[in-house]
Amino acid sequence: MRLLVVEDDPLLGDALQAGLRQAGHAVDWARDGAAALHALQSEPYAAVVLDLGLPRLSGLEVLRKVRAAKNQVPVLILTAQDGVTDRIAGLDAGADDYLVKPFDMGELAARLRALVRRAGGQSDAVLRAGGIELDPAGRRVRYRRELVELSAKEFVVLHALILNAGRVLTRAQIEEQLYAWGEEVESNAVEVYVHHLRRKLAPDAIQTVRGVGYLLPRDVTS
Amino acid sequence: MRARPSIQRHLLLLVMSAVAAVWIGTAIFVYVDARHEINEVLDAHLAQAAGLLNALRSHDIAEIETEQVPGLHKRARRVAFQIWERNRLLLHSANAPAQPLAQQDAGYSDALLAGRRWRVFSSRVGERVIHVGERADAREELAREMVVGLLMPLLYALPLLALLLWLAVGRGLRPLANMTRQVSARDPDNLAALDVAAAPAEIAPLVEQLNQLFRRIERSIESERRFTADAAHELRTPVAAIKAQAQVALGAGVANERERALKNVMAGCDRAAHLVDQLLVLARLDWTAESRPEQCLMRVVAVQAISDVASYAAAKRIELELKEGAEAQIEGYPALLHVMLRNLLDNAVRYSPAHTVVRIGVSATDQAVAVSVMDEGPGIPEAERERVFERFYRVLGTAESGTGLGLSIVQRIAEMHGARIELGSGDGTRGLRVMVTFPRRRSAR
Repeated sequence: MRLLVVEDDPLLGDALQAGLRQAGHAVDWARDGAAALHALQSEPYAAVVLDLGLPRLSGLEVLRKVRAAKNQVPVLILTAQDGVTDRIAGLDAGADDYLVKPFDMGELAARLRALVRRAGGQSDAVLRAGGIELDPAGRRVRYRRELVELSAKEFVVLHALILNAGRVLTRAQIEEQLYAWGEEVESNAVEVYVHHLRRKLAPDAIQTVRGVGYLLPRDVTS
Repeated sequence: MRARPSIQRHLLLLVMSAVAAVWIGTAIFVYVDARHEINEVLDAHLAQAAGLLNALRSHDIAEIETEQVPGLHKRARRVAFQIWERNRLLLHSANAPAQPLAQQDAGYSDALLAGRRWRVFSSRVGERVIHVGERADAREELAREMVVGLLMPLLYALPLLALLLWLAVGRGLRPLANMTRQVSARDPDNLAALDVAAAPAEIAPLVEQLNQLFRRIERSIESERRFTADAAHELRTPVAAIKAQAQVALGAGVANERERALKNVMAGCDRAAHLVDQLLVLARLDWTAESRPEQCLMRVVAVQAISDVASYAAAKRIELELKEGAEAQIEGYPALLHVMLRNLLDNAVRYSPAHTVVRIGVSATDQAVAVSVMDEGPGIPEAERERVFERFYRVLGTAESGTGLGLSIVQRIAEMHGARIELGSGDGTRGLRVMVTFPRRRSAR
């Protein structure tokens, strides 16, 4: 999934970007509040990691502006103060979760997964649809109980589709989850990954809606 | 141990002394006045008695038995008379001496007979001379009795007055006691102002000063609190960066990714160590102030600071230049001046682009010695020049990772030397010029 890291400290921002990339995400890094706001207004992110002590526009102001614009993107705040008032202010301004520095990269990634899952209306850690089971934490996919090997990009595409099971995703929407700023977008990449997924799972696992995009049907409980 | 001075005791002592002094003064005046009046009245009595004796006929005198006259009054025995005729004593009172009471035969006189002082009135009618005398000590006694009569009540009145005054003064000082109770009942965190309106005029200035002290303490506590919080924040971020970079290194799939992350771990450690150093410098500045200032040669200090940052500047391809000039001497703390100049040079090198020059100048006039550091970096916008001295403040848009403490340290050291810091633009519009001006001590010249 595509994440936005907002952090003014060069070393910490670099580590966040690198660490979350290792976890298989496309990560954009904004170094101040104004840049973060601009990014949030123009790109759809699965989640945001937001430092509170930012130059130009503080983390709290960014958060309030984002929420005022009815943007419901999950936001996790990073704070250096262990005082409870800071965290209350953050949560009240519309943050979904917080971590106090210094934190564990594994925990940060897990909390982000949980935030994204909850935002998609799922509370189970493993996402299920059409016989597919996707475990975002373990980065494992099973089809009809059989383990399926997927590349990182294929996993991201399937993750996006299963999070939005029952809804049609446009090719652009899927692309946005695949690439961070500055990464070159390969043409027809989405078609190629969908093709691979159909081959590895089942030919009818992902449906094409002509002229719109792709759909992973939701399980209908009888 | 000496007793603590007490306003109540002091006031009581003063008032009682004043009362006693006035009373005693009054008594002395009364004594003098009474003696004068008593003399007037008794002299008149003597004259009257002489007149009465004059009226007696000669054969009456022979029949008078003065020994039989009863003591009609306790003072009567102190009054005596003699009737002389041709140097013969015709008649005399029982207590009269044998020799004449007076040498003269008319008017008032004072006599000393048998060790006693007498006041005598004499009058002559024909051959007969009459002396009526009164012992002077009787008069003294009268006057003394009047004074004692005036002073005696004082003996009873003074302790009563003291008691009442003690209570009154105690009551008058009650606002002070109330204020004491109010202050002592406070918990140490409560630095709210005391109610000045409730204080009487005498205590109001003290309360006002106390309130000002409270405000100063509150401000300094607040700034300490903010400093601690900021310091925690500033230390946590590098630690978080180190930890995150280390985890990136652990999770890296390829060697160059791991190497890059590990290098970042090292950079993070250097930064955290630098921050800790700066914090320690700032903390130490407070106690260094107690040592004695000495004569410092500014160019010598500048050369030391330049050699400290020389290798850092070389790595960034920045040239350092100490401008030509004469040595200048000020009174100060050489170690602190060294830290100050090193911080200024470190800042200049940190924010300068490669292939530029950082210039250091030392100049002196009769009144002052100035040290300037000039770079060709981005400078500081005028609007931010005040704020850069705040602890942990960093100018926006700077990619360099400073601690935000450097200029706070510089300012603190400048304050300790009574020096003034000015920020300006370097040559032309580019760069930053920091000028620290030290006043020359009068004793140094």
